[in-house]
Amino acid sequence: MTEPMTIIGTNTFVNGNLEGDEDLTVEGRVEGSITLSKTLTVEVGGVVRANINVRNAVVSGILVGNVTAQESVHVTEQGRVVGDISAPRVILVDGASFRGNIDMGDFDVDRATEGFTPKAAPRKAPARVEAEDPAAEEKGRAEKPQVVRTRPAPIPTRRPAAAAQPKAAAPAKAAQASSQPAAAQATVKRSPPPPKVRAIGKTKAVKKKH
Amino acid sequence: MANTVIGSSIVIDGEISGEEDLVIQGTVKGRIILKENLYVEQSGVVEADIQTANIEISGQVTGNIAASDKVEIAAGGRAVGDIKAPRILIADGAIFKGNVDMDA
Repeated sequence: MTEPMTIIGTNTFVNGNLEGDEDLTVEGRVEGSITLSKTLTVEVGGVVRANINVRNAVVSGILVGNVTAQESVHVTEQGRVVGDISAPRVILVDGASFRGNIDMGDFDVDRATEGFTPKAAPRKAPARVEAEDPAAEEKGRAEKPQVVRTRPAPIPTRRPAAAAQPKAAAPAKAAQASSQPAAAQATVKRSPPPPKVRAIGKTKAVKKKH
Repeated sequence: MANTVIGSSIVIDGEISGEEDLVIQGTVKGRIILKENLYVEQSGVVEADIQTANIEISGQVTGNIAASDKVEIAAGGRAVGDIKAPRILIADGAIFKGNVDMDA
């Protein structure tokens, strides 16, 4: 045991701040904070209730608290984690239980945004918001006067659009209700783009859950 | 092996309590409450009040020590503080400053 290695044994309870430059294995219980430049291992039966800042973390026991790792966080089959994890690599094995947020950092966000921006514009914009709505707006602007003056075609074209997109429906109705404020319409209808961002966020969230 | 070891680069600020042997090679500040043996090795630095069954000091201890069995300060060990224990051993080469109470 003369290796640089620290063990908090099964029947030991540490309450306070723990920092160091070597591996730490917790078989017992630690509360407070842990700051390590190496690997924290929470063994089966180990309980850590602390904010943690380490290079690597391997959790087979119970960990409650926020974890920041420079490299990776690995939650094994028996591991149970409650708290937020921030690390470039996060491994959640089948059987592991986790509740909290995971942040894999700017690295992935950059990648994601690079990957998403080209896709986001053609896919979602034309399909839902930008392609239809601007058209609808233009029609709306052009049509309103028409609607007022001559009843026919424009209304049906709007209503299907409204039916297809409930969100667009409200502005459309509002537009009909108050025929004049084209500018207001524009702002209202331009507001939908945020859903694109939310959609991206959802896909991320799905990834995180796995 | 299954006991607790605080490695040489570790600093703990707080309280350690346990029912098994504890080996300190690093630094512990605060308080230690044990029911077994405490070993403060050469590289170990303890600034804490200690309550234990046995303690063997080869490193540095600053703080009051209450042992239910024995306190041993080995050669090279340094202790500053009051010691209360039925058996107290201070080896040749050990450094100690404080009160000794063996009435317990």
